Amino acid sequence: MLLTLIGKQIKMLLRNKQPLIILLIMPLVLITILSTALASVMNSGGEPAIQARLALIDESSWENEEESIKNFLEEQGLSGPSLDAVLTQLKSSDPIYILEDSILSADGVEEYISVEKKQSTGLDSIRKDKNTDGILTIPSSFRLDYIKTAYFNETQTPEIDLFLSQENEIRASIIQSVITEWQNGYTKSLALTKAGITLDQSLQNNSSVEKVEQVLEERERKIPASVYYTAGMLVMFALYIPSFLAGFALQEVQWKVYDRMILAGVSATWYAISIFITGSLVAFVQQLLLLLYGKFVLGIDWIGLDAMAVIVLTYSLFIGGLSALLTTLQFRTKSDGVANLFNGLVITIFSFLGGSFFNIGDVSTILAKIGNLTPNGATMTAILSIQKGRELEIIWPLMSVLFVAFSLCVLLSIVLFPKRGVTS
Amino acid sequence: MLQAINLHKRYKTKEVVRQVNMQLEAGESIGLLGPNGAGKSTTISMLSSLVMPTSGEVIWNSESINKNPESLRKTLGVVPQEIALYPELSAKENLAFFGRIYGLKGSLLSERVEETLQKIGLSDRKNDIVKTFSGGMKRRLNIGAALLHRPSILIMDEPTVGIDPQSRAYILDTVKQLVEEGMTLLYTSHYMEEVELLCDKIYIMDQGEIIAFGTKEQLKSLVSNNQTIELKGHLLTEEFGEVLKKQFPTASVRYEEDIFLVSMPKKEEPLATIFALAAENDVTITSAIIKIPSLEDVFLHLTGKALRD
Repeated sequence: MLLTLIGKQIKMLLRNKQPLIILLIMPLVLITILSTALASVMNSGGEPAIQARLALIDESSWENEEESIKNFLEEQGLSGPSLDAVLTQLKSSDPIYILEDSILSADGVEEYISVEKKQSTGLDSIRKDKNTDGILTIPSSFRLDYIKTAYFNETQTPEIDLFLSQENEIRASIIQSVITEWQNGYTKSLALTKAGITLDQSLQNNSSVEKVEQVLEERERKIPASVYYTAGMLVMFALYIPSFLAGFALQEVQWKVYDRMILAGVSATWYAISIFITGSLVAFVQQLLLLLYGKFVLGIDWIGLDAMAVIVLTYSLFIGGLSALLTTLQFRTKSDGVANLFNGLVITIFSFLGGSFFNIGDVSTILAKIGNLTPNGATMTAILSIQKGRELEIIWPLMSVLFVAFSLCVLLSIVLFPKRGVTS
Repeated sequence: MLQAINLHKRYKTKEVVRQVNMQLEAGESIGLLGPNGAGKSTTISMLSSLVMPTSGEVIWNSESINKNPESLRKTLGVVPQEIALYPELSAKENLAFFGRIYGLKGSLLSERVEETLQKIGLSDRKNDIVKTFSGGMKRRLNIGAALLHRPSILIMDEPTVGIDPQSRAYILDTVKQLVEEGMTLLYTSHYMEEVELLCDKIYIMDQGEIIAFGTKEQLKSLVSNNQTIELKGHLLTEEFGEVLKKQFPTASVRYEEDIFLVSMPKKEEPLATIFALAAENDVTITSAIIKIPSLEDVFLHLTGKALRD
C-alpha cells in the first residue's frame, strides 16, 4: 500500500516538467552561474575557529624527580647553596613548566588548543576517545635527562611521545605545530646552554600562535563560491518539494481520486505517511544529485562525509515532515493558498535569512543568528562548517533546529490531518 | 440492502439535501434523476460514506455506516462526475494503481486490468497517457477504475457528462451489460433517457428533496392525463408561447433548441386551435406531433420546469 502510494507520487513528480525544472534544473543552473560569477569575490578569506583537544600525560613531575636530580647533581660534586642555586635555575627553565604554563596557557594558543591533564593508566581509553586530537606523554625521567644533556654533556636526549589522532587532520596539525615549536625551543636552549649562553626566553617565544595561524592558513579550507552556492541552492530548492507534493495531493482531492483511495480503505494516516516518505526520499535524492554535480562538474572535494550524511538525512526528514504539514493545511483549507504563500513568500524569506543568496552574516550578525534558526539556514551553516574542516559536534546545535522543526511539522500533521476524508 | 433514512445535509446556511429516503436492494438498478444542483451528488456522497450527513443515517446490512463506513466502502464502486484519474499516467498504470490500493496484486491484478481494459474498450490504448485521451475515453476509464475490484454496488454520478454521442452510447451499453449481469446500480443523471434506459426504479430529486419515486410506468402514470405536443416551424418565439398559454391556461410551454413543447391535459384537443393561432401570428408550423409522456414530462409536471433548465 505504502509503496504503491509512494511510487505513484514519484511518477507524478517525474512526469511533470515543472517539478523537474524547479527541483533539479534551476538549482544546477544557479549553482553553476553563481559559482562562476562570484568565484573571484568569494574564493579568498576564511575564518579560523578550530580548537584542538590535547591530552597531557606528565609522568615527570618535579616532586617525583627532584630527589633523583639532587642525587645526580651531588654526584656531579654540587652541594649546599650552589646546589640550591642550580635547582632554582633549573626549575625556572623547566621546559615542561614552560610548555604548560607559558605556551599552552597563552591567550592566543588557548583559543586553538584545549589541554586536559590525564593519567597514563587510562591511555588506551584516551586513544579511543574520538574527541581527543593528540596525546602528549612526557616520560618520568624527562627533566633528569634534560639536565644531563643540557648541563653535563650527556648524549641521552630527553624524549617525549606525541600521539596524533587521524580523526581530524587540521586539529592534529595544530597540536603538532605547537609541540614542534616547543621542541625546537628547548633544543635551541640546550644548544645555547652548552655554548655557555643562558637564554631561557628562547623557549618562551610567542611564535606558537603564529605557527597555529600558519597551520590554519595552510590547512583550513576556505569556502569557495562553488561550495557556498551548492549548499545554498541545495537547502533552498529542497523547500519547493513540499509545495509540489501538497499541490498534487490537493489535485487528488479536486479530481476525486482521493475519494477513491478512501473508499479503497487507504487510511488518512497511511496517506500522510506516504507523503512524508516521498518528501524525504525526493529531498534526499535531490541533495545527493546536487552534491554529486558539485563533485564531478564543479570539482568540489566534499569532506566530512559522515557529518554530511547526517545533515542531508536530517534535512530530508524535515522536508518530508514539511510536505505532510503543507498537505494537511491544504486539505484543511481546501485551497492551494498555503502552498502558494509558502512558495512565494516563506521560501524567499527563509532563503534570504538562511544565506542562500549571500552570507547574511556580512550584513548583520542578528539576522545571521535568526537565519540559523530557520531549518534551511541551520542546514547550510552545518554544511559550510563541516566543509571548513570543523568537527561533527559543531552540527548538533544546528541539527537540533531541524529536529524541533521536524517534530513540529509531524505533530501538527497528526493533529490536523482530516481523518474521515476530504471533499472538494 | 443500502438504505438512506432522513438524510439531511447543510453547508453553512445552505440546505443542500433535505429528508432524503432511499432504498437500494441487491440486483436493482435505481436512477436518481434531477437537474443540476438538485443535490444528487451530495446524496450519493453521503450514501457512499464520503460525506457525513448533518442528520439522518445510511444503513448497510442493518448497520449504520456513520461510525463504521469501512464495512460498506469495499463493496462499492463509485464513478464520480469528475475524471478521477491521473492524467500523467497511462490507462494501464491508472488501473493498476487503483487495483493495488484495493489489495490486488501479481497475476490477479494483471488479469483484472486486462479484463477491465477490454470491457471499457481501451485495450489498444492501454499504454497511452490519459491526458492524451478524448473526453469519452477518459469517461470509460473512469468507469473502469471503479470496476477493478468487482464491487457489488456501482454508484455512478453523471457518467456521460460532456462526451460525444458515440462514447455515450458505448458507456450506456457497458452499464446496461453490467446491470444485466446482476450488478446493483445507483445511477444519477439529468438525462432522463439514460435513466429510463438503465433503471428499474427512479427517484426524482429537485432542490434537495425527493419529489417522486416509482417505476417508470408508475411515474409516467402521474402524467397519463397529459399530452405533449412537439411543434417545429418558423418564428416559434416566446411571444407565441405566451399566446398559447393565454389560449390554454392549463398548458406549460418549453423550448428545446428549435423545438417547441406544449404540455396540457388530454381532454383538450388543441391542434386546430394551435394552427389557427399560428396563422394569426404569422408563425409557420411545419410539423406537430402528439408525444407519449416521458420522464421529462413527469419532471415538468412536478416542478413546472424542464430537467435541463
